[in-house]
Amino acid sequence: MKGAQFLVKALEREGVEVIFGYPGGAIMPVYDALIDSKIRHILVRHEQAAALAADGYARASGKVGVCMATSGPGATNLVTGIANAYMDSVPVVAITGQVATSLMGTDAFQEVDIFGITLPVVKHSFLVRTAAELPEIVHEAFRIARSGRPGPVLIDLPKDIANTVAEYEFDRASKSETTPAPSHQSIAYAKQLLRASERPVAYVGGGVGMAKAIDELKLFVETTQIPVVATLKGLGSIPTRHELALGMMGMHGTKAANHAVQESDLLVCIGARFDDRATGRLNGFAPHAKVIHLDVDPAEISKLRHAEAPVTGNLRDSLKALAAPLDIEPWRRKCLAMKESNVWNYDAPGTEVYAPDFLKRLSERAGENCIVACDVGQHQMWVAQHFHFTSPAQHLTSGGLGTMGFGLPAAIGAQFAFPDATVINVSGDGSIMMNLQEFATLRRYELPIKIVLFDNSALGMVRQWQELFHDRRYSEVDLSDNPDFALVAQSMGLASFRVDRRSEVDSAIDQLMAARGPVLAHVIIHQEANVWPIVGPGKSNSEMMDEVAL
Amino acid sequence: MSILKLQMRVRHAEGALVRVLSVTRRRRFDLLHLAADATPDGAFLDVQMTVQAERAGHTLISQLAKLEDVSEVEILEPTDAERGVQLAGQGA
Repeated sequence: MKGAQFLVKALEREGVEVIFGYPGGAIMPVYDALIDSKIRHILVRHEQAAALAADGYARASGKVGVCMATSGPGATNLVTGIANAYMDSVPVVAITGQVATSLMGTDAFQEVDIFGITLPVVKHSFLVRTAAELPEIVHEAFRIARSGRPGPVLIDLPKDIANTVAEYEFDRASKSETTPAPSHQSIAYAKQLLRASERPVAYVGGGVGMAKAIDELKLFVETTQIPVVATLKGLGSIPTRHELALGMMGMHGTKAANHAVQESDLLVCIGARFDDRATGRLNGFAPHAKVIHLDVDPAEISKLRHAEAPVTGNLRDSLKALAAPLDIEPWRRKCLAMKESNVWNYDAPGTEVYAPDFLKRLSERAGENCIVACDVGQHQMWVAQHFHFTSPAQHLTSGGLGTMGFGLPAAIGAQFAFPDATVINVSGDGSIMMNLQEFATLRRYELPIKIVLFDNSALGMVRQWQELFHDRRYSEVDLSDNPDFALVAQSMGLASFRVDRRSEVDSAIDQLMAARGPVLAHVIIHQEANVWPIVGPGKSNSEMMDEVAL
Repeated sequence: MSILKLQMRVRHAEGALVRVLSVTRRRRFDLLHLAADATPDGAFLDVQMTVQAERAGHTLISQLAKLEDVSEVEILEPTDAERGVQLAGQGA
């Protein structure tokens, strides 16, 4: 059996059903082996989209996503997607072709040191030296990608190794890995802090979904009655409509969430990492709070904020162990009152489409089981603020790297994970152009993805910052020469239509939901529509700016 | 600025030492000294490394410890000479 066949067989043994990729010279032996495999290969139109689709597939399904590309530019085009998975701890295995070992280090055609290039953005990587080690490398790659704190793993496969005939016995026992439980001592001290606290807040991040600890979080929150705030990636860990959910915290968080954190005397950080977008100015963050930090990754404990009670280990065990009633009723009532007095106002003046209102209506129509893949920018924050989620796997968003162009490929990945699900890509006129070529992938596979493209003829978030923090000195944010996106979509085989006025919103949503194939709604919004509230650069979360007339 | 002296056992695998140095640089620790010797069976490298940084040493230790190729990492006490460098760096 050839090395390429070993690889494909090993992937099958890992349960891989879908690979997102793009062929080329050095990876050709693997594409040849794929012909005889039950694994489905999805041909994207740019390798970055392959990596991001694998990321979206993994986020939505909880399985390891797999992408593949050839050597040189094929491999380097994967890098942004690999970095995206690294920053958001998403289990992805990226397979790259490499020039033959005899040519490595000679600056051969399409040779690049992808192993070296990706070192800072992978959890681990392998350069395959012999065909016989391929099955074990694949098994290790999958184990590493999904164990502990998940992340991307690279397998770089030289072409001669892929073509080498070798022997291997596939029945060898496989290694398994369990995440350690928290220590009794750490749980005991955390319980002590919880009992002593009068104003605790649960600060929930993406780790809860990754640890599949949704039920345990619900048990912890409903038993303790601790109010909950979520990071961008933590949204949906507790249903966003749950009574105790105060909303997203941080730069574009809700007032109730940020004020609760700032007033708290105990922060129970659950699978989050004190990211600067969540904390604002770090030395002004939760100034009165002690910290209990629950995380599977010991490297996150006290990395940015000292944790009085570190609890390292499996979140499911930790949350179950900490679920005990607390005497915090006055604080609970205060937090819920803050939430009630700061509800969103959807009555914007004018007749133009108001994006928050559009998204609220779309969320209500799409129901609780839809999956939303966002791009990056203002629309991303509006989705976080106004869409309702009952699971973090419903909300695919590039939190750490902030990758414009993430949304459409991620939606493609999610649709392959759940072919019958309603998958929506919310994008902007800047982001959509980053992976617009994937309209062709939607058409090729007739994916019924619903694209909501908010078009303000600008790089909206950058424009907003220039308006608010750079004295309206606008620099390279004008996109008024955008193409007609509805026509572009039509030319690539998608149904499409344009929405100019608020009065058209309900029928637009009807059209979107009724579409059986890929569809794009080109939604025109005001160029100066901003995301509110906002915590300015260098400010603490106590200093939120409300909508201002500028 | 504090000085940190580390002893590590690292799997003798493709890029393992580069990975250690990459994490050290990316986490903003400056390298002052590095020595690496293969174990007799060639399976591991015993690495001694001295670094300095304004950041707390545990932030580097925990990042190194989670590398797949690092099987052991421990902090060694700085020598008197290194303490002298540390004090000089602080303007003492």
